[in-house]
Amino acid sequence: MNGKIIWTLAQKELRDALHNRWFLLYTIAFIGLSLALSYMSLAGAGIAGFAGFGRTAASLINLVLLIIPLMALTVGAQSLAHEQEQGTLAYLLAQPVTRVEVFIGKYLGLALSLLASLGLGFGIAGVVLALANGAGSPMAYISLVGQTFLLSLTMLSVGFLVSALTKRAGVAIGIGLFLWLTFVFLGDLGLMGTAITMRLPVEQLLWLSLLNPLQVFKMAAILDINATLDLLGPAGIYAMQEYGAQLRGVFLMLTALWILAPALAAYMRFRLRGDF
Amino acid sequence: MRLLSQARVAGSVLLLLLFSAFTLPLRASASGQVTPQTVAETTQCGHVSLQAMIDEAEAGDTLVVPAGTWQAPIRIDKPLTLEGQAWPVIRGDGSGNVVAITAPNVTLRGFVVAGSGKSLDREDSGIRVSAPNAVIENNRIEDALFGIYLERAADSVVRGNTILGMALPISRRGDGLKIFYSPNTLVEGNVMRDTRDAILWYSPYSVVRHNDFADGRYGLHLMQSDHHLIEENVFRNNSVGVYVMYGTSFELRRNLIAANRGPSGYGVGLKEASDVLMEGNRIVGNRAGVYSDSSPLRPNTTVTYRNNLFAYNEIGLEMLPNTQNNRFQENILLDNGEQVNVYGGGDLTRNEWAFDGRGNYWSDYAGFDANGDAIGDLPYISKSLFDSLIGVQPELRLFQLSPASDALDLAAKAFPLFAPQPRMSDPAPLTQPPALPPTPGLESPPTATNIVVAVAMVGVALTILAAGLRRSKRQRRAISAQPA
Amino acid sequence: MIEFTDLTKRYGKFTAVDHLTLHVPARGAVALWGVNGAGKTTMIKCLLGLLRFDGRITVDGCDVRRQGRAARQRIGYVPQELAFYKEMTTYDMAEFYARLKDAPTTRIATVLEQVGLGEHQDKPVGALSGGMKQRLALGLALLADPPVLVMDEPTSNLDTAARSQLLQLLVEVKAAGKTILFTSHRIEEVEALADTVAVMESGRLHFTCSSGALAQRIGLRTQVKFMVPGHQIDLALDILRGDGLAARRNGVGVIVDVAHGEKARPIHALGRANIEVIDFELE
Repeated sequence: MNGKIIWTLAQKELRDALHNRWFLLYTIAFIGLSLALSYMSLAGAGIAGFAGFGRTAASLINLVLLIIPLMALTVGAQSLAHEQEQGTLAYLLAQPVTRVEVFIGKYLGLALSLLASLGLGFGIAGVVLALANGAGSPMAYISLVGQTFLLSLTMLSVGFLVSALTKRAGVAIGIGLFLWLTFVFLGDLGLMGTAITMRLPVEQLLWLSLLNPLQVFKMAAILDINATLDLLGPAGIYAMQEYGAQLRGVFLMLTALWILAPALAAYMRFRLRGDF
Repeated sequence: MRLLSQARVAGSVLLLLLFSAFTLPLRASASGQVTPQTVAETTQCGHVSLQAMIDEAEAGDTLVVPAGTWQAPIRIDKPLTLEGQAWPVIRGDGSGNVVAITAPNVTLRGFVVAGSGKSLDREDSGIRVSAPNAVIENNRIEDALFGIYLERAADSVVRGNTILGMALPISRRGDGLKIFYSPNTLVEGNVMRDTRDAILWYSPYSVVRHNDFADGRYGLHLMQSDHHLIEENVFRNNSVGVYVMYGTSFELRRNLIAANRGPSGYGVGLKEASDVLMEGNRIVGNRAGVYSDSSPLRPNTTVTYRNNLFAYNEIGLEMLPNTQNNRFQENILLDNGEQVNVYGGGDLTRNEWAFDGRGNYWSDYAGFDANGDAIGDLPYISKSLFDSLIGVQPELRLFQLSPASDALDLAAKAFPLFAPQPRMSDPAPLTQPPALPPTPGLESPPTATNIVVAVAMVGVALTILAAGLRRSKRQRRAISAQPA
Repeated sequence: MIEFTDLTKRYGKFTAVDHLTLHVPARGAVALWGVNGAGKTTMIKCLLGLLRFDGRITVDGCDVRRQGRAARQRIGYVPQELAFYKEMTTYDMAEFYARLKDAPTTRIATVLEQVGLGEHQDKPVGALSGGMKQRLALGLALLADPPVLVMDEPTSNLDTAARSQLLQLLVEVKAAGKTILFTSHRIEEVEALADTVAVMESGRLHFTCSSGALAQRIGLRTQVKFMVPGHQIDLALDILRGDGLAARRNGVGVIVDVAHGEKARPIHALGRANIEVIDFELE
């Protein structure tokens, strides 16, 4: 593996991100919405005489859950499939580069551009909040950004897997959108329905929901901000009592698994592919 | 967050110490005219024990005790005033009580009391009072299982003490302040950290004012005790801020009740409490702002909420479905995760959500005010499908903050067939938040740090983006410098 | 320099390249000749490691499968039509590939001048003409000054002027001592550039020959149309047929079918008979 080549490819992805209309649109939407949320929470803080960061953070979690997976999934799904469709991928692979370099370079570049997008969104909203005395603990804010970045990496990995398994960008994005729907809505709604009809015990409910990386993010973020999961009712309390201090580790492990497993699978598929 | 709160605790303790250091000498000279010579003698002789000094003193004497460490246990069995000078330490050996007061009319002031036993059965205490009319003032109690324990000590005063609990798991801690069968006690200006409860049990007509109770189980626990005024206290970071169990006639005014969390974390818990008035309290960031079970219990009494702030709680008001005769007026319900929850499902329609034509301010009110009287023309109705679901099946709280739960509510609005029955309705919602009285403990956030952090985030983002462009520009200069 | 040993590539049941063995000597220039689907492009993709295959390919002793990077470091590749990142400028594009190939950035200016794009380096690649794009592709291939140049139909999408311009460049490159492997279906390109031609048919190597002998070996024929005065058309037909050429009338002229390399023969025949040739064109 050659670091210079990887960085060259990553830089290329960063440049492309700056030219990518979708990427810019997502970023602007994210900045705009987080600003709107900050503004709303500031209005509240004025009434209460209290910083409402807890609630801002909660709304931000909701916003992040909606937008960030969409952004990361579509960006990831396009990554390989789009270049393959354009024919640029074959030409790239005909250069003295290895596939692992191409894969890591692309992943790194997209991950960095996602980080930049998050930094802008959270940063600008954070400046506004802080200037208006509406912000809470800076550590909680930083950890929320960190958790969000990890979430975006899980979705980026899933997107890469989709991209490695398809040849056409349109198909890849379609699958990406379906997965987004599944992660954000269908999975949770299905689980809610199951919980209601089958009367699932909290333990099973907790673990079933933790199969969804979005839920893992949500719980980890709430844990960072509130230092407890009692917001999440019996299942959250069960998690606190059963796993307590290990909970952070569990969340981190699950997140790491969601980042690494799809990325590895995507790489294996990409490496073995012989149809460029 | 934890760092900050520690700093805050340390800060307030420091302030208290400073404050006490200035006030102590004044008080000593004011009351020290009775028998000053007793003091002068004992201070000359380092070997004399505090207990010996007490044994030698006459009833009604004032002992001014100099700085130094004094061996416990100490028993005060006659009416005496003990004034500590520059914080003398009374140190126990880790067993039993440190100071036991068995006579009425004892004043203990200006001491550090430390090192009680750890037996919950014997209720080992820092200061244990079992006679009326005690004054426990400006002491610092640390490393004690129970801090100050008043048992059949009516008409006592507990004022300006700092009580720091033992670093034990909550199940093995004792109560920082236990007031048992001691009516008419005044609890004022105390600071308490890391203990179990401050509990008043069978001690009617006691007043709790200007205290700061944090990091325990119940900030204040009122148990089978009537006629209390709870005023301008701070109850923070406990499991429950104030728990009122089985009693009649309570006034809670202008308290700050914040960040009380945990599995059954409430700002204020009411269990079979009758004739309650809550006015001007700020109830912020708790798991549930108020938890109400069978209150009021007595017929013809009410629980009245006026001009309180319920903000940023996971649940603003959590009530059992049997709750009735609660009256609400001019409260602010601001951005609670769930404004009103009926625990176990059902509705709260047998309560007055407005009276005298004025209801409450709801931050999620979606009506309008056409005639400009600052009262919404449509009632505020709480009927969220997801909220109803979690009322019936609390495990589903797991899906709070998920877009899926929002989608459910949206679907219920689009298809009214699925819309749940309204759980409550405020007929006269306010369109402007009413003014709130000040409460203690308001703080401003760490603005400068936050700006730095936020700007740094933007900076990181821009640096990353710049990395995508930087290199080619540098190289371009190289090529243009080269002759073609 | 390049060795294909028993190369076989199957797509499902279809065999695109069938047990093919071919040697490209150092500094040699080999053209792959054959109809579409004969397996030329497949061979090149195998050589670049883009496809999985059976058999063995080495470049300068480097196994394409096991030492892919080393093999590709020795190859400059010019695709049939370069797929571009359209929004990049010519210079940025060259710089990007220079860094991937680990070529010194000073080479960029040299190469862009060499392929005649020195003045277009700030243009977005999407705005370049077809000929310029193909010259850029050649430039990119030459960035790291590799010993081997591999090209897949390098001139197929170009007009006549652009084609001859590129061909001229390629001749210079060959003279500089590169080993060249390319596919083509243009006889003049093969004759100008290749030493040896490998003629392929259905994935097999049909035969190899020198580039000069190709036209004859494959019996390449050309249709030439002559314009002669109207009253002499019948005479012209007679004379041409008498000379053993297949000729037929076409409007105001005649069309003659001649072998590659004999296109002047009908002119001489008509000249000897004093028939005026007003004009002619190659069909």
